[in-house]
Amino acid sequence: MSALSDRMLAGTSKPRRRPALLVLEDGTAFQGTACGAAGEAFGEICFNTSLEGYFEVITDPSYAGQIVTMTYPQIGNYGVNPDDAQAAHPALRGLVVRDMCTAPSNWRSEMSLPDYLKAEGVVAIEDIDTRALVRHVREHGAMRAAISTDDADVTSLLAKVRTSAPLVGANLVETVSCAKPHAFGAADLTEGKAFAFAPPFGPRYRVVVYDCGVKRSILEGLARVGCEMLVVPWDTPAEDVLANNPDGVFLSNGPGDPDAVVRTYEQVEKLLGHVPVFGICMGHQMICKAAGARMEKLKFGHHGGNQPVVNLRTGRIEITAQNHGFNVVFPSLGREVAQNVVENDRFGRIQLTHVNLNDDTAEGIAFLDIPAFSVQYHPEANPGPTDSHYLFEAFALLMDGRADYLDIDIAQNHLKGWKFQ
Amino acid sequence: MPKRTDISTILVIGSGPIVIGQACEFDYSGAQACKVLREEGYRIVLVNSNPATIMTDPDLADRTYVEPITAPTVEKIIQRERPDALLATLGGQTALNVAVELAESGALERHGVEMIGCDLAAIRRGEDRKLFNECMAELGIETARSGYAYSVDDALHIVEEIGYPVVLRPSFTLGGAGSGIARDEGELVRIVSQGLELSPAGEVLVEESIEGWKEFEMEVVRDKAGNGIIVCSIENLDPMGVHTGDSITVAPAQTLSDVEYQRMRVASLSVLEKVGVETGGSNVQFAVNPRDGRMVIIEMNPRVSRSSALASKATGFPIAKVAARLAVGFTLPEITNDVTGTTSACFEPSIDYCVVKAPRFAFEKFKDSDDTLSTRMKAVGEVMAIGRTFEEALGKALRSLENGRAGLGVDGHARASETKAGYEALLERPTCDRIVYIGCALRCGWTAAEIHEKTGIDRFFLDRMADIVAVQEALRGSRIDEVDADAFRVAKRYGLSDAQIAYLTNSTEIVARTRRKALGVLPAFKTVDTCAAEFTSSTAYHYKTYDSAENESGERFPRLVSEGRDARMSPESGSSSSSGGKKAIILGAGPNRIGQGIEFDYCCVHACYALREAGYETIMVNCNPETVSTDYDTADKLYFEPLTYEDVMDIIDVEHPDGVVATLGGQTPLKLARALEEAGVPLMGTGADAIDLAEDRDRFAAVLDGLGITYPAAGDASTLEEAVKTAARIGFPLLVRPSYVLGGRGMAIVYDAAQLRRYMGEAAKISPDHPVYLDKFLESAVEVDLDCICDGDDVYIGGILEHIEEAGIHSGDSACCIPPFSLSDALVDELRDIAWRLALSLGVQGLLNIQFAIKDQVVYVIEANPRASRTVPFVSKATGVPLAKVAARVMAGERLADMSLPSDCRELGYCAVKEAVMPFGRFPGSDVVLGPEMKSTGEVMGVAPTFPAAYAKTQIAIAYDLPSSGDVFVSVADRDKRYIASIARDFSRLGFGIVSTGGTAKTLAASGVPCRKVNKVSEGHPNVADMIADGQVKLMINTPFGHGSRGDGYHLRLAAVRHGVTYATTMAAAQALAAAMEVAREDGLGVIALQDLPA
Repeated sequence: MSALSDRMLAGTSKPRRRPALLVLEDGTAFQGTACGAAGEAFGEICFNTSLEGYFEVITDPSYAGQIVTMTYPQIGNYGVNPDDAQAAHPALRGLVVRDMCTAPSNWRSEMSLPDYLKAEGVVAIEDIDTRALVRHVREHGAMRAAISTDDADVTSLLAKVRTSAPLVGANLVETVSCAKPHAFGAADLTEGKAFAFAPPFGPRYRVVVYDCGVKRSILEGLARVGCEMLVVPWDTPAEDVLANNPDGVFLSNGPGDPDAVVRTYEQVEKLLGHVPVFGICMGHQMICKAAGARMEKLKFGHHGGNQPVVNLRTGRIEITAQNHGFNVVFPSLGREVAQNVVENDRFGRIQLTHVNLNDDTAEGIAFLDIPAFSVQYHPEANPGPTDSHYLFEAFALLMDGRADYLDIDIAQNHLKGWKFQ
Repeated sequence: MPKRTDISTILVIGSGPIVIGQACEFDYSGAQACKVLREEGYRIVLVNSNPATIMTDPDLADRTYVEPITAPTVEKIIQRERPDALLATLGGQTALNVAVELAESGALERHGVEMIGCDLAAIRRGEDRKLFNECMAELGIETARSGYAYSVDDALHIVEEIGYPVVLRPSFTLGGAGSGIARDEGELVRIVSQGLELSPAGEVLVEESIEGWKEFEMEVVRDKAGNGIIVCSIENLDPMGVHTGDSITVAPAQTLSDVEYQRMRVASLSVLEKVGVETGGSNVQFAVNPRDGRMVIIEMNPRVSRSSALASKATGFPIAKVAARLAVGFTLPEITNDVTGTTSACFEPSIDYCVVKAPRFAFEKFKDSDDTLSTRMKAVGEVMAIGRTFEEALGKALRSLENGRAGLGVDGHARASETKAGYEALLERPTCDRIVYIGCALRCGWTAAEIHEKTGIDRFFLDRMADIVAVQEALRGSRIDEVDADAFRVAKRYGLSDAQIAYLTNSTEIVARTRRKALGVLPAFKTVDTCAAEFTSSTAYHYKTYDSAENESGERFPRLVSEGRDARMSPESGSSSSSGGKKAIILGAGPNRIGQGIEFDYCCVHACYALREAGYETIMVNCNPETVSTDYDTADKLYFEPLTYEDVMDIIDVEHPDGVVATLGGQTPLKLARALEEAGVPLMGTGADAIDLAEDRDRFAAVLDGLGITYPAAGDASTLEEAVKTAARIGFPLLVRPSYVLGGRGMAIVYDAAQLRRYMGEAAKISPDHPVYLDKFLESAVEVDLDCICDGDDVYIGGILEHIEEAGIHSGDSACCIPPFSLSDALVDELRDIAWRLALSLGVQGLLNIQFAIKDQVVYVIEANPRASRTVPFVSKATGVPLAKVAARVMAGERLADMSLPSDCRELGYCAVKEAVMPFGRFPGSDVVLGPEMKSTGEVMGVAPTFPAAYAKTQIAIAYDLPSSGDVFVSVADRDKRYIASIARDFSRLGFGIVSTGGTAKTLAASGVPCRKVNKVSEGHPNVADMIADGQVKLMINTPFGHGSRGDGYHLRLAAVRHGVTYATTMAAAQALAAAMEVAREDGLGVIALQDLPA
């Protein structure tokens, strides 16, 4: 950069620039500026279209192994509040933004996002034409990429990208799951969000949570409907879980390729039919795999906080937070016996309960002969709309043995759990 | 749920004339609704009194009534057309109020008309503060602490509990009229007593002040199944205390964390549910305490609003279109996202850019009025700008405002103060210039933190502005040839315009631009697609940025650094590479302001339609979010960009148009014409030289001399001495004005040397580089406007409009009539003859507007404008000939002779009157007397068999009512005394009591008109002011004594405005009013659809 341009920036909130480079596996390269930790990061490039909630995205364990691009250009505006974190530490590999804010403004902010990224060692790059990048990724699909603040040479960095480990086939779940079982309940809800949320229900259910990289807000959502939880590692044997005699089992979200998480869905096979089960995202995929489903890659993955999903049982539309590139092929779960219902050889009838309005892909299923249901998207939101919060309540109703557990009218349910004064 | 089949005819109510707080955003929403509902097969009956709207184009509805939007008129239309349903949620507060009135009176039930979109109960819950607060309490959502006052005493009691300051809001007033903040008892008493009068319910809400809190808006859409979505969140830059219409606003919300945003989101959805908005768009406003996040709901509008139009343009989500479909029974999931063409409309748009809206004010038009921004809206228009960052968007917005600014400062304007202390007061008081003062203050050493303390503006915005200023100041003083590519890029990323860079480097815009381009620092065009590029999109809606790794419009110039072979651009990038046909760019009119309103947007939209029909690919450039022209549906391609040389040329550089239309968007594009032509851009229609020929006084005078056409004696002057000398030569009275002005800005009539001296002192401020023009003023002349189209061989006379008010009143403020009602055939022939000769000799290719003054049977040409005039839409509606379309076809090379237009000298067989709508109620303190400087914001039209009936309709359309009994107060200047008797006699005959002071009373008595004498204000109580305050005076005729008088008349006129008394300030208007009232009373006024007018 020229001396004059450096002088022009000298008096701004971002006086010093360290060049950084972003290279995609197909050779596409973007010059930018470092805005996080120094170093070199490799991962699969992906994007998220949420307008706010960057901190929840960055700390979402499901992004393990990925370099996340935020489509909204100015990121970091309201700073960082640790209470919003979805995990103790970020699991993503790197962050790409158009413009990073170093001088945030919000009463809840405790530090700036670039300071957080530096403290957590996350490599990040700004001054990127993120729209061009997103369009490229949309057209050419997910691919490996690297951000470097050390290597300014496109050819050299590209060579490293092409030899980096691919995401496909890698078991990232074990990198983000807990090491040993621990409890989580109403007492663990943070004070920092008490301004917005009503007090939780008293403990009503004992639930075991398979931690495939669980988001904190899922645990919070379960705690608010009265679940006292035991959070266990991803490969905990089903026998051990059932020996605990829980009221229900929850299968969490998690990163990477579901096919690589054999040791989780093998347990699910043994749990289904024995205990009420609810799964989200990776958890949904584990349930589907346990029932023998086939997965397909979506033409355009779902990556934001604005995806419309219809609940086929109520006809209601939920605006949902989503982050997935693979989807269950619903007919692969069994032979069709009624509209949107298939007969599964092992677990009986399975109903398609939720469908994406944009591309008609399956987003949720319910087992009609055993107590289990799951959704591909993120009812816990964080970030994103909370229309689907009712699914936590639905899980509670399922544990109560209610057949109509999924028939909650969200138009009357928007304010549930929130606090306004 | 599919669309309803149990209804077939739908009555759509528009919003009437453009007034402050209700502008052309409702033409945009109404036009969309009509289009969509007709597509769905419904028969549409439309009522709107505003002729300058696209929605009143006869082909947009089956039956178009340009009639007053009042309950009695609408009921007459209902009786004739028998609609099954009434859609009132797309016509602003005006439509909603009429719908409420019709519902309450039982008229809807009587005629079997169902209100769709929103029912009476929901409207009441949304608008009645008390019911609303109850709803919120039931939901558990906080509102500001408050109470209702029905008297000043009530208000005082409430304040005892909640303490000062308090916000006062009269119930059911438009755009927050009558609202204010009281900090002490004096203010409380004043605002409450005014508010009780303004409120139809005689009710004022007294509310805890949350001034200084952050303000947010949520645009919500709901369907009848109960599905709800947030289309857009908007954050106000100015904190609570400034009306959102007067505030700079930013989308999406910038400073809310996810948990705060989601809490606001669910609250918004629940509010619609609770209030019972069955379907459609609504707007919910919140205030957030910046210290602890406490959130209170301010209000909601159960209808499409100004913010909905902004949200639609900001996201690409067409709220009105969707709302119209929802109103007839569709649900959100049944509707496809118009922009992507593939995904569902039941979603929440994600945007990957920042949008800044900036209001446009007109305080310079209203001397003596307070320019402090408050809870009562005063902006007359707005601009929207899209950039990838707030910095980029803010710079664009500020240079879009058409106020001579090139961005955030550093554009050659003098600073308000050179010292730090000088900004203290300027920062504290919210005004239209405060945004600029913030820039100056930063340059004078204020920190963002200090400015935050003074203004309450969020640090996020101030820190961004501080960065912009830091970049500017570091560039200042460099030579332009030292500015390298990196420096240009930095400057551009912080939103600096070429003009600002030129100013800072002591260069010129052209040099800066040339160097920038030579260095390869080129912008790219991105697409507004509702989904942040997650899906492909089929709509060509673009904005410019300096994120230029990829260009999505015009020429393809992908600049991704590519090593691998796979890195090619997607097939749809550069989607605009078109069919290879001809391309035309239409330059829009920019923000609405007084003197340049919706009329020009109307012309631009028509040009789009006509040129598309003529086989062109049409490309619209404009920055006004309220308009139909900036609907992505209007042109084949939309660039939402400022109308500056730089921004327009950047588009031309990528589009390479075959022609650019600069003569339909008013002064904004016209003043670019010469520079564009010099840059080699092909202008369509009248060329820059012909424009100059008409605008340059000397050249124009030479043309007139050559043709033997009479014009008033004239001269110019750069100094007072010259002016005095010229005045001596021409003689008083004189019409004086600065050169190159719009809407009569700075124009005045001076009657003697003293007035001339004062004028010259003030005029220097307006335009220091240009001289002042002095014209002989033709007192009491009849003024006539003529709109015609010339193709080089033929001239088509579109319309001849006789003004009601005499010469000296700006043509935009004067009522006028087609056909001319008092001119002889010989005079009309002379006007036509002059128009022919003038149009041909100026070399006009398209529209020409000529203003005439006729005095003592002599026709004078006052001026000629070779462009679309303000009256084109009105003339088109009145005659059925779409002039702007015809003009566009002429520009595209068609011949008038081949267009089979109806004869331009046919008898119409009816009268069409246009009347101006004045905003004086918004500017307390400003005199209401009309003059050569235009002050009106909008217009209405009345059509009837006779002139008085048509005029009566216009008066009803503005006032919603004509007085029918009570007292008429008459007080006229000496020069008018000879003529007042017959007018007063008319009113007396109509049953009004006549009341006069001193001189006028004497005149009337001498003429035998029964008249009661009252005291002047200066003569003690009880006086005429008391009568006005008591509501005894229903009509006031008051012509100004002398000029710029600040005597009794001034105060009485102000009182009339304040108390909603109908008034006339010219004799001509008074006479027309008398005739109008007579016809309104005797025959009643029928209604007539445009489609029924004789062809």
